[in-house]
This record gives sequence, C-alpha cells and structure tokens, in this order.
Amino acid sequence: MKTVARTTCYMCACRCGIKVHLEDGRLRYIEGDRDHPVNRGVLCAKGSAGIMTAISPARLTTPLARVGPRGSGGFRAICWDEAMEIVTRRLAAIRAADPNRLAFFTGRDQSQALTSHFARMFGTMNYAAHGGFCSVNMAAAGLYTAGGAFWEFGEPDWDHARLFLLFGVAEDHDSNPIKLGLGKLKERGAKIISINPVRTGYSAIADEFVAIRPGTDGLLVFALIHCLLQAGEVDTEFLVRYTNAHHLVIDAPSEADHGLIARDGNGRELSFDRNSNSLQEAAATGIDPALAGEFTLPDGRRARPAFELLARRYTRKEYAPEAVAARCGIDAADIRRIAAEIAEVAFNQPVVIQQPWTDTSGRRHATMTGRPVAMHAMRGISAHSNGFHTCRALHVLQMLLGAIDTPGSWRYKSPYPKPIPCGGPPGRSTSPGSPLDGPPLGCPLGPEDLLVDEQGEALRLDRAFSWEAPLAIHGLMHMAIARAFEAGPSGIDTLFLFMANMAWNSAMNPGETTRMLSECDEHGKYRIPFVIVADAFASETVAYADLVLPDTTYLERYDCISLLDRPIGSAHGPADAIRVPVLQPARDVRPFQDVLIELAGRLGLEDFGDAGGQPLYSSYADYIVRHERAPGIGPLAGFRGVDARATAKGSPNADQLERYVENGGYWKHELPPEQLYYKHANRAYLAGAKAMGFIADDSQIVLQLYCETLQRFRLAAEGHGERRPPQRLRARIGEFFDPLPIWYVPLEEALSDRERFPLHAITQRPMAMYHSWGSQNAWLRQILPQNRIYLHRDLAARLAVEDEDWVWVHSRNGKLKCQVRTMTGMNRDTVWTWNAIGKRAGAWALRHGAPEFRRAFLLNHIISEYLPQEGDEARHSNSDPVTGQASWFDVTVAIERCSEDVFAEVAPRLGANPVRLRQDSGVDR
Amino acid sequence: MRPSASILLLTTVTGFAFGLLAWVGAYTALGLLPAEPHFALTGIAVGLFLASVGLAASLLHLGRMDRAWRAFSQWRSSWLSREGVGAVLIYPVAILLAAALRLDHGGIVTRLLGAALMVTSLATVLCTAMIYASLKPIRQWHNSHTAPDYLIYAAFSGALLFAVLDTVLLGTTGSADLIAAAAAAAALIAKRAYWHHVDAQTPLASLAAAIGLPKDREVRPLDAPHFTENYVLREMGFVVARRHGARLRRIALGLGFGAPLGLCLLASLSVLPRAATAVALACAVMGLLTERWLFFAEATHVSALYYGRRV
Amino acid sequence: MTMLPKVPPGAKKLGLVIDLDTCVGCHACAVSCKEWNSGGEAGLLPDYDKQGPEPDGVWYNRVHSYEAPEQGCSRTINLPRSCLHCEDALCVTVCPTGASYKRAEDGIVLIDPEICIGCKLCSWACPYGAREFDEEAGVMRKCTLCVDRIYDPNLPEAEREPACVAACPTRARHFGDLADPESGVSKLVAARGGKTLLEELGYRPTNKYLPARTATIKAEPREAAAEARDGVGAALLKLLDRALSR
Ligand SMILES: Nc1nc2c(c(=O)[nH]1)N[C@H]1C(S)=C(S)[C@@H](COP(=O)(O)OP(=O)(O)OC[C@H]3O[C@@H](n4cnc5c(=O)[nH]c(N)nc54)[C@H](O)[C@@H]3O)O[C@H]1N2
Ligand SMILES: Nc1nc2c(c(=O)[nH]1)N[C@H]1C(S)=C(S)[C@@H](COP(=O)(O)OP(=O)(O)OC[C@H]3O[C@@H](n4cnc5c(=O)[nH]c(N)nc54)[C@H](O)[C@@H]3O)O[C@H]1N2
Ligand code: SF4
Ligand code: SF4
Ligand code: SF4
Ligand code: SF4
Ligand code: SF4
Ligand SMILES: [Mo]
Repeated sequence: MKTVARTTCYMCACRCGIKVHLEDGRLRYIEGDRDHPVNRGVLCAKGSAGIMTAISPARLTTPLARVGPRGSGGFRAICWDEAMEIVTRRLAAIRAADPNRLAFFTGRDQSQALTSHFARMFGTMNYAAHGGFCSVNMAAAGLYTAGGAFWEFGEPDWDHARLFLLFGVAEDHDSNPIKLGLGKLKERGAKIISINPVRTGYSAIADEFVAIRPGTDGLLVFALIHCLLQAGEVDTEFLVRYTNAHHLVIDAPSEADHGLIARDGNGRELSFDRNSNSLQEAAATGIDPALAGEFTLPDGRRARPAFELLARRYTRKEYAPEAVAARCGIDAADIRRIAAEIAEVAFNQPVVIQQPWTDTSGRRHATMTGRPVAMHAMRGISAHSNGFHTCRALHVLQMLLGAIDTPGSWRYKSPYPKPIPCGGPPGRSTSPGSPLDGPPLGCPLGPEDLLVDEQGEALRLDRAFSWEAPLAIHGLMHMAIARAFEAGPSGIDTLFLFMANMAWNSAMNPGETTRMLSECDEHGKYRIPFVIVADAFASETVAYADLVLPDTTYLERYDCISLLDRPIGSAHGPADAIRVPVLQPARDVRPFQDVLIELAGRLGLEDFGDAGGQPLYSSYADYIVRHERAPGIGPLAGFRGVDARATAKGSPNADQLERYVENGGYWKHELPPEQLYYKHANRAYLAGAKAMGFIADDSQIVLQLYCETLQRFRLAAEGHGERRPPQRLRARIGEFFDPLPIWYVPLEEALSDRERFPLHAITQRPMAMYHSWGSQNAWLRQILPQNRIYLHRDLAARLAVEDEDWVWVHSRNGKLKCQVRTMTGMNRDTVWTWNAIGKRAGAWALRHGAPEFRRAFLLNHIISEYLPQEGDEARHSNSDPVTGQASWFDVTVAIERCSEDVFAEVAPRLGANPVRLRQDSGVDR
Repeated sequence: MRPSASILLLTTVTGFAFGLLAWVGAYTALGLLPAEPHFALTGIAVGLFLASVGLAASLLHLGRMDRAWRAFSQWRSSWLSREGVGAVLIYPVAILLAAALRLDHGGIVTRLLGAALMVTSLATVLCTAMIYASLKPIRQWHNSHTAPDYLIYAAFSGALLFAVLDTVLLGTTGSADLIAAAAAAAALIAKRAYWHHVDAQTPLASLAAAIGLPKDREVRPLDAPHFTENYVLREMGFVVARRHGARLRRIALGLGFGAPLGLCLLASLSVLPRAATAVALACAVMGLLTERWLFFAEATHVSALYYGRRV
Repeated sequence: MTMLPKVPPGAKKLGLVIDLDTCVGCHACAVSCKEWNSGGEAGLLPDYDKQGPEPDGVWYNRVHSYEAPEQGCSRTINLPRSCLHCEDALCVTVCPTGASYKRAEDGIVLIDPEICIGCKLCSWACPYGAREFDEEAGVMRKCTLCVDRIYDPNLPEAEREPACVAACPTRARHFGDLADPESGVSKLVAARGGKTLLEELGYRPTNKYLPARTATIKAEPREAAAEARDGVGAALLKLLDRALSR
C-alpha cells in the first residue's frame, strides 16, 4: 500500500516541508513539498537522505542507566517507568530545595517554547538553548538595533535586490530559502558580493569575492560607511523618519546621563527642529530635524544629534579604506569601488513599487520606494568576539542607506519587527517550589536587569546576564559544563542536556570537556553530580550520561515550529508548522516533548499539572492544541478558535492538528501588499501584528542607530547608578559598551602571540552534512567522511606541503594532526576546514577504522572555552564581551609539516567509548 | 585502466590460442603442414583448449555470467559481440578442420578449412583488438597501433607455441623457430613503436574542457564528490608509478619478446631446441602478461580527468 | 537495439541544462537522485560498507568542485556530473547485449538491467564517467533521466521532471526538450551560450552546461564631498544642507 504524508523535515533546522512516501509502511521516498512556503518543493542533500537517518543503526533503542564509570559507555537497559521515576525523584528534590540546581540546556531544540517554559515553571534560571554558541551576536545586535535580526528574523528581498552583500555565510539555517534566493538573484542578473575568507558554496557563485581576513569585517564596514559619508551619500530622510539619528545625545561627561538620549518631561526623545529653531519631540512630524550641531537642552546642558557622533567617528582617517586595507587583506581601491557600487544602486536605481501605504504618523505614501542593496550575514560575523559590534555596524550601514525593510533591501520576517529590544528582562526571583518570575532568557535594558548578586557576580551558572556577558540573551551554553565543573556539587546537581552534543562538537576543547564530565572530587563523587541526556542517537555525549532518555526521530513524533520560538515566517507573512508521526518506532523510545510534559505533570509544575499532581496534558500533541501562553495565544497560530477561522489569536481548537494535517502540515498568513514593507513604521502592518498578538503596542519601532542601552552599562562602569560592575570588569565594560559600533582585535587573537600563531583557523558548514549527526547517514558519509585542513597554496609552498600531506596545527591550546588540501580561493592568512566531520571512535554506530575516527578531525580540540589568563584576573570565557557569544573563529594557529615517519592518522584521538549494554546491574550514582 | 586478472588472462591466452590456430590454419592452407597427422590435431586441440580457458576467464569478468549468451546478439555494432561470435565460430571451423585433416589430409577442402580457421582466428583477434581500439576515451588504445599490434602479438605468441609443438612433438627445428623469432622481432618493434607513440601523445582533453571551460584554462580539483574510490576511479582511474612502469616495460620487452627472439634463434640452430623453445614460451607468457598488464595499467581514461588525474 | 536509433523527424531530445553560474555544489541533486533511484529502504542502488572504513556506493550523479585561478583570486566551480544522454553514444554501440540503448523517441540512453551481463565495456566507452557498476546485481547502472517520473501519468504534470531537477535548491537544473528550439532549455542554451563538455570527443551530449557569468555594476568613482579630515566638517554639512522632513 502506498501512502504520502506531509510533514516537516528535521535533517537540519531549516524546517522545509516534505512529502514522505511510504510503501507498506516502509520509507520509499522523501521529496520537497511544492506548496510549502519555506522550500517550495526543493530539498537539500540532507533532506533527501532522511531515509538513511530514519533507519540509522545509531538510533537509541531504550532508556539507559549508567553502569561503570561515567564516560565508559557502559549502560543497563531500563524501562520507561524506572527512567521516569529516577528523573522525577531527582528533579522534585532539587525543586524543593533550590530549583537553580537544575541546569537544563537544549541544543538544536526546535521546541524552545516548551523547554524554556518548562524551565521557567520549574523555577530554574539555568536554562539556555544553543543560540549562545551559535549566533547570539547576530540576534542581539539585530534585536537591539533593528527589532529583527539577520539570524532567523530577517531575509533579503530576493525579488528586488540589485546588489547583495553576503558576509560570512557558508550555509545558514535558512539553507533552502537562501539557495532559492540566490537562484532568483542570479536569474535577474543582480550582483552578489561575498565577503568571506573562503570561496566555496555560496561564495563560489558570487560575482565578486572579497577574501577578507577573519575578524576584520567591522573595519571593512566602517570603511564603506566612511566612503558613503564622505561622498554625502546617505539617506538622511530615512534616518530622521525611521531611526534615532536625529535624537539628541546628552553631552555631559562624567554625569550620570552622559551619552543618553535627551528626553522631555514625558520621557519623549528630543531633537532639534530647524524649522522652528527649537527642541522638539523627535517623533513629531513636520519637523526638520538637525543631524548635526550642538544644541542646548532646557537644563542648559549640551547635546548633539546621534548622527553627528556617528559621522564624526567614521569620517576619521583611521576608517579610510587605505587605513584598513592591509588589516582586512583587501585592496583599498576595491573598497572604494564597492562603496561606489552600493551608492549607485541605492541612490540611482531605487526600486519603486506602486503600492500606497500609511506610516505610523498617519502620512499616506503613494509608493513603496526602496534601496535595492540587500545584506545578509551570519556566523562569519557572529563567531568572533567582536561580532556584536560588527553586526551592529552592518545594521548601521543599512540604515544609512535606507535599506531596512524597504523594497530591494533586507526585510523583516514575520512576526518581526518587535519593539527594541523585544521581550522583558530575564526572570530572576526563584524560591523553592515555585516558578521563575519571567522567562529564563530575556533582554536586559540596563544594569538593573542583570542577574548578579550584591558583589556584582553572576547568579546564573553560565554567567549570562552578568557583567561578563550582560546581553547574553541566549545564554552561554558553551560554558555550562566548564562552569558546572568549577562550581562542583555545591553549584548544580543535575545537568540535563537535550539534543546537544556537548561532549563533542558543541564543546570548545572536547578533551577537557569530557574530563570535566567524568572527574570526581576528593570524596570520590562526580563534580557534576548527575547528567541526563535526551538524544535520539548514540552521540559522543550519550556515553557521559547517568541516565539516557531515548528520543524518537523526526519522522516518529509530533513537533511544533511555533511563533513563540523561531518560526518559519517570511517577509510575506507569519507561518508555523508541525511535524506528524509518519512512522511508528519499533524501539522503546518516546518523543522527548511527551516525556517532558509528563515529567512536568508529575512534578506538578504550574501550567503543566494541577496542585494535586494531576497532569494537565496527556501528550505534546495535546499540549500544542490546548496550552495557552496568554489568552488566545498558543503554540500554533493557525486555525484557532472554535470555528478554526481565527488567525494567530483565538481560543484553542480541538481539531487544530487535523486542520494542519489537511493543510500540509503548516499554516501561513499572507500579508496584504500594503503591509509588506516599512513594517517598522507601517501603520497597517503594526496594527495587524498587534491584533495577532505579535506585539503589544503598535507604535513606530524606531531603529537604533545609536544604542542607548549600551551606554547605560558603560555609565555603570564609570561609576554611575546603583548596580556597577566589579572593579575587575569596569574597564572592559567601559570599552565594549560603546553606543556606536566599534572594532577591536578579536580577544583571543589580541591575547595570543601573533608571531607564533600567525594564521586564523576557521570552520565552515558543509552543505551535505549536519553537525555531528550527518555521519551516521550511510549516503551522506560517502560524500564527506573526512575533512582536511585547507591551506592557501602560497602557504603550502612555503611549508613545502602538498595535497594529502599530514601537518600539525598548533594553537596556544594544543595541537592536532590532520591532512592537507591546498587551494587559492581563500584569504592568505587563514586555514580552514569543514566543521564537525571528525568523530570520536565508537560513536554514531560507525565501525572500527571509519575515516571519521582515523582521518577526520575536529578543530575544537585546539579551541578553548577560556581566554588566556591576564594577570591575576579570573579567566574570561572565550566569548563576545557583550553577548557571551562563543568565539569559535578567533583561534589563531601555526602549521607545521609532519615528519615523514609520523603515523598517518589524525591526532588527538580520544579512546573509543561506544554506548553498549552491560548485564551487570546496579546504577552507579 | 584497472588491469583485471580475467581480462589479462583472456587477451593473453586467447592470443596464444587464436595465434596458434591461425598458424595451423595457415600451414594447412598453404599445404605446409608436417606430415604427421597428430601434429595439426594436437595444435587444434591445444588452441581450442587455450581458447576455452581464455573465454572461461572472460566469463569471470562478467557481473552476470548466467546471461553471457546474450553477448552474441549485437554483432552489428559491438566489437565485443563480434569477438564472441568469432570465438565461437572458431570451434566448428576448427573441429571441421580436424575432421577434414583425418579424412583428407592436404585436400582442397582441408586447405579451404585451414584458410577459414586462419581467417576466423585472426578476425577474432582483430575483434578483440578493436574492442580497445574503438574506445575513444582511452588514447593509449584508440590509435592506429592497437589493432595491428594485437595481430602481431597473436601471430608471435601463436608462432612460438607452434614452434614449441613442432620441436616438442616432432623434434623439428628450423623454419618454425625462425618464424617465431621473426614474429618476436616484429612484436618487439611494434611494442616499442607503440610506446613511442603513446609517450608522444598529447592528452585527449584538458580538465578545463571536461568542465566546459576554454581548454587552456588552468583548473584544479578542490573537493571530490566522494572520498572513497568509487567504481569509476577504481576501474578508470588506475595509475601506475612512472618508475614502476619503466621497469615493467623493460621486463615486458626483454622477457616477452627479446628472450623468445634469442631462444628461438638458438632453437633454429638446434641448440637445445626443446629447452630453448620451452623457456622461450615461458618467457613469452610472463612477458606478454606483463605487456598486457601495462597495456591496461598505462592506459588512461578521459573520465579520470574529473578527478584531477592526468590522462 | 545497440545500434544508435534512426531519429524520427520531430523526435524529442530530452536532457538537462545545468547552470554553473548558480550551482553552489550542495549535492542535493546527487542525493535526491540516489534516493529516487534507490527506492528508499529497499536500497536498489547498492551501498557498500555503510558504517565502515570504505563507504561507497552507486550514484548516478556526483558533484565535483574545482578551482580556476583568476585574476586576484580563484573562481570556484561546482560541477554536477551525470549521464549526458549523448547523441553519438559509444556506450550504446559497444554494448554486446543490447542492454545499453538509446531511445529513438526522446534520445534517452538507458540500460536494461534484465539484459545487461555486466561486461563493463560501456563504462569504458563513456568519457564522462557516468556509468557505475552495481556489484550486488552484477549490472551496469546510470542516470535514467528519471524516465520513471517524467512520463508517469500518476504524477501531476508539474512533477513530471527528474528528481534532481525538482530538488535543486538554487534551481540550477533545467529539464526539457533540446530538439525544440522554442523550449525553455533550448532558449537558455542559446541565450547563455550553453557549453558542451568534451566537445572534441564527438559524443554530442544532449546535456548542456551554462557557463558562469559576472554581474557588474557601473559606478562612477565617488568624489569625496570634502577632505578626508579627522572630523566631519564640510562633508557632513553638505549632506545636511538638504532640508529634512520628519
Ligand atoms: N569548531 C566549531 N565548532 C562549532 C561550530 C563551529 O562553527 N565550529 N558551530 C557551533 C554551532 S553554531 C552549533 S549550533 C553547534 C552544533 O552543535 P549541536 O547543537 O551540539 O549539534 P550536534 O552536535 O549535532 O548535536 C545535536 C545532538 O542532537 C541529537 N539529535 C538529532 N536529532 C535528534 C532528535 O530528533 N531528538 C533528540 N533528542 N536528539 C537529536 C544528535 O544526535 C546530537 O547528539 O556546534 C558548535 N560547534
Ligand atoms: N548543511 C548544514 N547546514 C547548517 C548547519 C550544518 O551543520 N550543516 N548548521 C546550522 C547551524 S547550527 C548554524 S549556526 C548555521 C551557520 O551557518 P553559517 O553562518 O553559514 O555558518 P558557518 O558554516 O560556520 O559559516 C561561517 C562562514 O563565515 C566565514 N567566515 C569565518 N570568519 C569570517 C570573518 O571573519 N568574516 C567573514 N566575512 N566571514 C567569515 C567562513 O568562511 C564560513 O563561510 O548553519 C545551519 N545550517
Ligand atoms: S534544508 Fe534540507 S535538511 Fe534542512 S529542513 Fe530543509 S530539506 Fe531538511
Ligand atoms: S554520458 Fe556516457 S553513458 Fe551517457 S550517453 Fe554519453 S557516453 Fe553514454
Ligand atoms: S555492462 Fe551491460 S550495458 Fe554495459 S556494455 Fe556490458 S552488457 Fe551492455
Ligand atoms: S535525471 Fe534522474 S536519474 Fe538522472 S541524475 Fe537526475 S535524478 Fe538522477
Ligand atoms: S542541487 Fe543544484 S545547486 Fe546543488 S549541486 Fe546540484 S545542481 Fe548544484
Ligand atoms: Mo548553530
């Protein structure tokens, strides 16, 4: 019998629609769903290989309890009752004493709306998902600047852009939409410029490739801004209408509000109106706001428009193309030409769409006119410790061009934009047995929102929202294990990991991380007392669990891609989707979300169970349909209300899942044409978004050219306000919390010996592999079972190495041995490799001798989660000082040729510890 | 090209077989057969036996031996099919000739059948040669040497075998040995000319042309589509180290042609004729296997360009 | 069968046109091809050593990447390679069994796995390395141009295209009738100067590859509105000269 089911792919986080063909219950074929808004029928290599993952021999088959030492891989199969019993008992005890002793970290989680809510209701602030080591720099910079972000909350206007600048992207989460978009640009003959140290993939088809030196994009952007300013090519009208460029910044050095925006008695921002020659509310219409000049505030102090501060800074000689060229590894003439091309397209080739619209001031505009310069950026920017500011620099460049959510430029993906910054502060108050007073992750607006104690030290395990990483809005997952280890048993009790390979490629330095996971204190107790891992496959991390909760694969469960999380909406409107069980697992596994909901019920968490310990929901499917986060707002936005007609907001609909299934597994709402652009100031759009519950307030979202929030932290560092950073961090906060974008040498690079380690080492996502889990796939691993270190041919010639030779890669953190491939399409001061191909022997059900163990390597071995210690200061994490973003790409290295007699095998190799069942009984806890 | 054992065996052994049968046929046609009736019969038997060994070896090369019979159907276009048809035709012709030899040693029918055997044998060898010579993607095969060379090697290996039979069975020395020696000399010259030719060849195409760029453009492979050698690379991407190749070439020339040449000359002068021809044969077998191995191993296939190999 | 067919007038010449200006080398076409032709769990296209040291298998489509040095930096070129359905397909004429054949009506070159004896000669005759031997079934395999999709009456019209074309995320792959000058693919080839791979070998492949091109933007060098002084001065003044309205 043949059947077809429509569901959502999860061979990566892109969430494409798929049609799964079954023949007599067996998988026959997976194809892209042509009607699906994300992928429109196309399917990537991973998606097509889904069958092989669904039948992977590495799938976990039963709950496991550890026997033997942690990390040895020895387990005893247990039943679900026992597993649930163990977790419930442990977590109930924690919650009764100190909920923060549960650290719940989820990796490639696509149900953060659920997992974070669980954490909140449990009462622990120690929750984060993978964003912190992924792209929080992009998220934070975007949300604090534009109310959207390159990271998932925005996309280029593929249909109208004439010039597209792509910064540091190899693949991205939006894999298929970006590829579809690039195809569209190519078809229209738009010019694509890729700024990237390596020319592969997307960069391969770029019309121009800029082989930038890693970590220097900020300088390049400043040089572009410099050229535009000098040529007077700035969209000043856009600036005064949509940004805070004209807002007056108080110039009162050493006073408590220096550098903040001047406000009137009602708290409204001020600007100087040249019509009336007076201070006026900056949001007023009909004024001619000054962008430069010095003005006197009613209290007699001086103030200048934010734009003037910006212009003063970036017109400085140090940002001239000639001044940055050498450092960026780019010709000054090229920078000048690119600036000229940007200006040409932005200002001489505007895109005009004949579509009237009304702005938030009530003005009617006859057309939608845009600057068809679109940009996109991802981890090439974010995975550096200066990434937050670099990303802000990009947004500033966009604003200067008038290229934010206008035709041809970068656009918000619904449900964005959101007020800047969106959401409230992170929850802080915890008391035994009760929920957190806010979501564990949030957006601080100033020092008062930080999670620090009296001494200014971190409250959270990972030190997010502390002075070490004030805007760590996604947490610092890469520090979780190191910090838990440091704190020892008095710190946390249980480390609960879901869908995260924290002992391998999500770890900076897996050797150290696995040592920390398995080391005991002087009493012979594990320093991290209890580890629970919920995974679907036999990953490297599973071997370090005390308890393993085996999950289903993506074809065997319900899932919900929710607007409350990172949804699949596009610039054309909001959308969300579900996964439905297509296969029945013939293993003793359970969907993790079901397990979590049952657990929450057993623990009697508010919103999940009633006081009497009666669970509220029977399953995740039940929760998806019935849970309401706020009245009328639930995990799914489509088909709400009793008649299934309500959009986004409406009472729960018992048939909702059936309606989704009928509709192909997704729901989308097409915005009417008048709402498609200028969403940050588009009255109809904002009103609609408010009605759908995306935003609480439909007033204009003013883009933050000047980021006052940063200044608030800086003022604290200068000694103002109640909450101040500890002495040791003052200079750091003062330096990095600049309200205008800055550039600095990435921290690790600055602290390492450039003579000894002259090269940058970076990784790229291979298009046909997903993190560590691609390798279990019998098809995908035929394509890429081994990675090489790619060297520029000039470097290779200097070192006298050729393709296939073995070399040592040294960093200050250690060395690794790997095999070489040479190329020329890359920056000369860089070496690179494909990410996450190297595997630990025994993992992923790969057999002895697999190239993934013997010849492939993980660059992470020579990256450290700590920066070198400076003086007697505590060690800083290897992160962006603003957001806590893991700085994967800051490491600098030296390459050394291996002598001939070195055994041709990758090093280091951690011992094999495959997950295996043992007969001996007794859990060692 | 990967030298597969079954094909090496097939081409070398059938070279001996069809060469021998061709000589038996030629001698018969020309009425030059030794008077002893069992000589020609033994020759035919040995020829057919070796042909069968070769053909059996070729079956081993097939993925689906059970369907081997289908290979005869496409004689109108396929040299492989023709080779099969030819090889199979040889049997009735040879058997008829054997019968004729018994009935009418030296008669016209016999002589005609002899001629027929010679023609079918040589034609089959030619078909074998044309299998290779017609493959455009392989410059070392697709040239004017391959077909005549195969005929020459078959003539040589057949002549040598003939001489051995002649010496061993009849104790004769002289003309057969001289013919074998002459054939060895011809083969030696042919092989050297072949190598000279292929060494001077320019590549059939460039990697640039293979990927649609102007053919002089410099192109280098970056990432291969797969990391393990796949069928195409195993079969068509075989490479032999230069030094190794040169050594083998010397062995092939010396052992395959030089030694038999000298030994046959000795035999023709009645110097230890039996031993000399027997050793010559042994040398030729080893030499020809080496030669054939090189014929494959040194052949490059255009498709390997895609993997950045030199072709 | 093994003779190349006489092409009847008006016969189609179905094939692929692959745009190298757009191909990002993502392997989607290769894997979707594998998947379609493999029959899913049935595993008709074999894989060898699935979890072991030498992972290998039969694929009809493989994606290479190359570097061509260019002024300044190299250009990276991705090249998906499958059977090109040649007009002078030597792989057909060498076949001793007739298993390898070219269809008169649409030019598709196919292998009949029920007849093939696995002699491998056709793979030697193909300069493009498009044929791979199936060690398990003992027969030769290659791209079928998805004959089992493109004519499937059970599929909606729009889906009657090869699996690799449907999957390609950049839509770099186009399928159609190259005999018809009015077809989309023919027009693309004409407009973009479609290239024939290894033209000099004379196989006259049907599939064509569209070469990379370079979009440019003409822009006058910008004059600095003012001296590049440390500070804003005249430059800023000039741009602020405009009256602004909020
Ligand atoms: N050197 C270097 N290191 C990096 C990066 C880099 O660029 N360079 N990138 C970093 C980034 S951005 C990220 S996001 C991380 C990615 O790293 P992770 O988020 O840790 O992703 P994986 O390591 O692949 O681990 C995901 C885990 O989820 C499991 N899993 C897969 N499917 C399911 C399922 O359906 N259910 C359950 N329960 N589990 C499942 C897998 O088995 C695997 O163990 O890597 C980081 N590490
Ligand atoms: N196929 C596949 N898709 C994936 C993933 C996967 O594992 N496989 N992972 C998913 C995840 S979790 C994430 S976070 C995204 C990440 O997607 P991407 O943002 O594409 O991340 P990376 O592949 O790490 O690519 C970083 C790119 O930045 C470049 N780069 C490095 N340093 C610099 C720099 O200083 N400046 C500039 N301009 N460029 C630089 C690198 O060369 C590389 O091309 O991909 C997601 N999609
Ligand atoms: S990009 Fe590929 S793997 Fe990711 S969801 Fe889409 S089809 Fe699946
Ligand atoms: S590409 Fe190769 S297999 Fe395909 S038709 Fe041409 S010669 Fe034959
Ligand atoms: S392998 Fe099969 S298709 Fe190829 S030539 Fe031999 S019989 Fe024909
Ligand atoms: S046309 Fe079909 S068989 Fe040929 S490469 Fe594409 S998917 Fe594979
Ligand atoms: S799917 Fe398309 S973009 Fe990807 S490798 Fe194939 S042809 Fe290129
Ligand atoms: Mo990520």
